Amino acid sequence: MTGSRRRALTSAVIVLVIGLHAVPVLYRNERGTLWPFMQWSMYKNSRKAGPIDTRQRRILAISSRGVTDTVTPHLLGLSITVLKQRYLVPMATGDLSPAPELMQRLNRDRADPVVELRLESETYTITDTGIVRTNDPVVVYRPDVAGSR
Amino acid sequence: MSGTPTSRWVERWNAYWFPATPLLHLAICRIVAVATQLFWFPPDLGEHVNLLEKNPEFIEPQLIVRIISAVMPAEVFFTPSVITGLYWLTFAAGVLALVGLFTRTSLFVFAAGTWIFVAHLFSYGDRHHTEALFCIFLLLLALAPSGDRLSVDALIRRRRRRMRDPDGLSGMAVWPLKVMHVLFALTYFSAGMSKLLHSGTRWLNGYTLRGHTFGDALERGHPLGIWLAQQHELAVALSVFTILLEVFFFVSLFLPRFAPLFIAAALAFQIGLYVSAGYDFFQHIVLLTLLLFFLRPEWWQSRLGRRVPDLTPELSSRA
Repeated sequence: MTGSRRRALTSAVIVLVIGLHAVPVLYRNERGTLWPFMQWSMYKNSRKAGPIDTRQRRILAISSRGVTDTVTPHLLGLSITVLKQRYLVPMATGDLSPAPELMQRLNRDRADPVVELRLESETYTITDTGIVRTNDPVVVYRPDVAGSR
Repeated sequence: MSGTPTSRWVERWNAYWFPATPLLHLAICRIVAVATQLFWFPPDLGEHVNLLEKNPEFIEPQLIVRIISAVMPAEVFFTPSVITGLYWLTFAAGVLALVGLFTRTSLFVFAAGTWIFVAHLFSYGDRHHTEALFCIFLLLLALAPSGDRLSVDALIRRRRRRMRDPDGLSGMAVWPLKVMHVLFALTYFSAGMSKLLHSGTRWLNGYTLRGHTFGDALERGHPLGIWLAQQHELAVALSVFTILLEVFFFVSLFLPRFAPLFIAAALAFQIGLYVSAGYDFFQHIVLLTLLLFFLRPEWWQSRLGRRVPDLTPELSSRA
């Protein structure tokens, strides 16, 4: 291959690789599925002036034999983002509608089925005197108890 | 300057993307990139198999996964046994690419395998930015003459032709790094502008950075970030630094003499993000380190006040 032909082909590759980064901007519906051509709008949300706090949440699965497991992405076979969006955040706000699906998913291949889910969380707040930890109310789901909290 | 306007643009284009630079530098980039992907960022086979076993279907299949599924049914390709075979094929290709045997082919297979693994991982409703640029770089290395030095291929070629090590310059040896430079500029600009367009100057109020840092540092156990979240003035200063770096990094494309300074600032930024809150853009750190040393190596040589004859004799003879 001649030098000029090689440069022309390489130039086409360069234009393509750079140009493909415009696709997620132009096709908004597909922007989440075009990896490695992505939108880079990370951490764009801002926060009002005021106290800085954050929550640490976890869901515990309690089996019929009383064994307690923390529900992790690995245990569930889902990513941390899906675990948070589908289960942690709704349950933390009192919406227990995703809980049956979560329990069903956990019980798919278990000999010792999960019979109770507990969402525990703490709020950490930065104050003038340091970091203050507050335990939030525990949310409990048991399928045999309607509307359990 | 003579010639038509078109030919002048072509000359400028070629002068930008295809200057003569040492093949040795590109070979070092190949070795570093492949070695880090092989031994630092390899796909977690257990995680892939776990995802396959626990999910009857993809949640949000990536384009690459959809393309593969269009050619071969997903239930045939995306199985634990095929994925395990692909894992070892990718690993073997990576080892060949590292030592530089059948370099182009092995690099291409290695890059393609790596792309498939990342796309598969991100087809379950989650995706991250850390791998994207690095994976593109791996593919570009397969298209560049990155196996012309420091490789078994080069050794065999020299033995067959009874040639001395050519120690040569090539016009095709720096364009992958230049593409990375442009992509860093694009992605940083996108990140910075999205903050400004979405949140305006409120993103600079210090509370925003403290909030992001506090949550992630606490979750990941990074005490420096927990401390930073309590330092308001420092958080304001770092917010301003973040926006300035992200929005204006592209200036380094037009001021090449100062590009290493921008790249060093970006490197410090990425390392700072990791130590403070665990934002593990390690692939960015590797790429920025390669850019820092090999995008404009003469910058270092002039700053050090001496040439490095053993490493880049070509530059000395060119000067």
